[in-house]
Amino acid sequence: MLWLQLTLTGLQTGALYALTAVGFSLIFGATRVFHFAHGAAFVLAAYVFYWVDTAGLGMIPGIVLAALAAMAFGVAMDRLVYAPIQRHEGSFFTVFVASFGVGIAVQNIVGMVFGRGFVTMNSTLSRSREIVDGVYVAPLAWIAIACAAVFFALLQFFLRRTHTGMALRALADSPELIRVYGLDPRRLSSYAFALGSVLVVPGAVITALGSGLNPALGHHVMLISLAATIVGGIGSIGGALVAGFVLGLAENLALIFFQSQWTEAVTFAILFLVILLRPSGLFGRAAAH
Amino acid sequence: MLKATRTAALAAAAFCAVAGLAGGVQAKDIEIGAEFPLSGSNAIYGDVFKSGTELAVAHINADHMLKAPLKILYEDSQALPQPAVVAMTKLVEVNKVPYVLSAFTGVSKAISTLGQRSQTVVVNGGGVGPDLAKLGPYFWNVIPLANLEVRAMVPYLAKHDMKKVALIYVDDPLGQAILDELKANLPKAGGKLVAEMSVPTSAQSFSGVAAQVRASGADAVYIASYGAQQIQIAKQLRDNGVKVQLASYSGFSTPDALKLPEANGLLYTTQAVNYKADDAVTKRFLADYEKAHDGKKPSAYVVNYYNAVLLFGILGHKLEEAGKPITGANLLAERKATKSFDLVGGKVSFQENGTLLAPIQVNKIVDGAGQPQETVDIH
Repeated sequence: MLWLQLTLTGLQTGALYALTAVGFSLIFGATRVFHFAHGAAFVLAAYVFYWVDTAGLGMIPGIVLAALAAMAFGVAMDRLVYAPIQRHEGSFFTVFVASFGVGIAVQNIVGMVFGRGFVTMNSTLSRSREIVDGVYVAPLAWIAIACAAVFFALLQFFLRRTHTGMALRALADSPELIRVYGLDPRRLSSYAFALGSVLVVPGAVITALGSGLNPALGHHVMLISLAATIVGGIGSIGGALVAGFVLGLAENLALIFFQSQWTEAVTFAILFLVILLRPSGLFGRAAAH
Repeated sequence: MLKATRTAALAAAAFCAVAGLAGGVQAKDIEIGAEFPLSGSNAIYGDVFKSGTELAVAHINADHMLKAPLKILYEDSQALPQPAVVAMTKLVEVNKVPYVLSAFTGVSKAISTLGQRSQTVVVNGGGVGPDLAKLGPYFWNVIPLANLEVRAMVPYLAKHDMKKVALIYVDDPLGQAILDELKANLPKAGGKLVAEMSVPTSAQSFSGVAAQVRASGADAVYIASYGAQQIQIAKQLRDNGVKVQLASYSGFSTPDALKLPEANGLLYTTQAVNYKADDAVTKRFLADYEKAHDGKKPSAYVVNYYNAVLLFGILGHKLEEAGKPITGANLLAERKATKSFDLVGGKVSFQENGTLLAPIQVNKIVDGAGQPQETVDIH
């Protein structure tokens, strides 16, 4: 039954990876900004949720405020950090360093406000129940998988059926053409940051309830988001979703064959293989030379 | 013209007199270094360690134990060897400190070479890898090492019918050392290591590991990790249906680990500190610590780092009295010449390898605090 247990655990892990990776992929795909501070948005949302819930205000206000905080952070990053750098023709590397710096600053500010220790939330949602003999699943696992499916469906609907969504997809292809059509790329960029940042909220809430939080969590989130984005294909939302699940399942099923210390290596072996065999990612479009 | 020259000369003389007076009154601080994790997921340890060092500095300075005020230069090791070596280079080459406080096995091993080469004493009060006893004369430990902790925990588990043990260990020198000790000591106690699962230092998800633990049929799970990770392991084991006894080492004695609801009932070892000792050092330490921390009892880490700084104060005082400069070489010679020291917990002495020998205590977490279960004398 170990394989069934690890498959279910892998799906839960994959759902969390997918949720964070899709947001990063949306931002990177639409704006080409390497938003390293995406991990900081995750940490911020998770701690706001933790703060509101432990203050006794309940989970729903916690989720709403976490979403507002993540959205405000994403838009502020776009308007106050990336836009000024890009106005002065800052290089990709300059943007990356600025984003990295903000990520570190947020980690330290969160540490100052909430303490640098590990915080957990006492929730029955994280307690596993035996569903068949020797196989345990927590309600959070089903919530994570359902969230990944629902958010992906909503995002696809938004990107394919709404005017703003289509404009965002167009922004990824050609910002110049966007201007020709009378649209404002700067405004669309802010939409991408707002939406991409909100997508971290389900993952942040589930992590807060399930495994607990510390201010340094953002780096791991960012690493997985980046790996899933590259494996899935840069700019491909569906690719990021599938890659998130692939990485989560691989990480857990690897335990059948390898020591647990190698599970992270499995993630990066997959990344390496994809880069080697299909540089544009599983669902990415090959770049023209 | 003559008047102007005379005024300028008087002003210059007055300035020199004031400057000289000031220089005479304000002696240069005596500086020592500390390499603690001040950021990242292990920063909580830095806060705990500092509460001990700062109290010791306050006591040493209040007592005028040294001829000049003592000051600690803190560097952020992040609990990682590479930044620790960079910081150690600065402390040794730029600040020229004779004494550096260290923590974490990997960090301590990394900076020990520089300590030996520059004759700078490195004192560890937090890392427990057994290798730390073999790092040369300039490396001292004011904490009993993990081999002793495992030797105390294994018989305790066996005595309570927990003979099949699964180990989850972090993939670093500390985890490896605990694995070796369990392999060596479990068969002697009639036990068996039924599963060993190493995890990378950055791992945060352990539900898969929990499934492996359940499949192993272990009676107890020994967690050999630290910082946020060890708490995540304990929480996720419980959340994922692992109901057997959890056990760990002194790394689990941090405030946020103790207050974790899922850690209730977990067994962990620490050095046994006699807080009821009737000496003035222990009484003053306890009274002032509890006053500063709302009546909270200090952890063994706080004691270790208080003792590490106090040890410097005692040795430095002796050197100053003998008219010798406070250098690493002189501190080492003075420590070897002194049979025992009055530190928190009573009189203590160092072994030949520079490590303090102390009895080990098995504790159980009950309602967020460690309750001593048994004290074991390890030799």
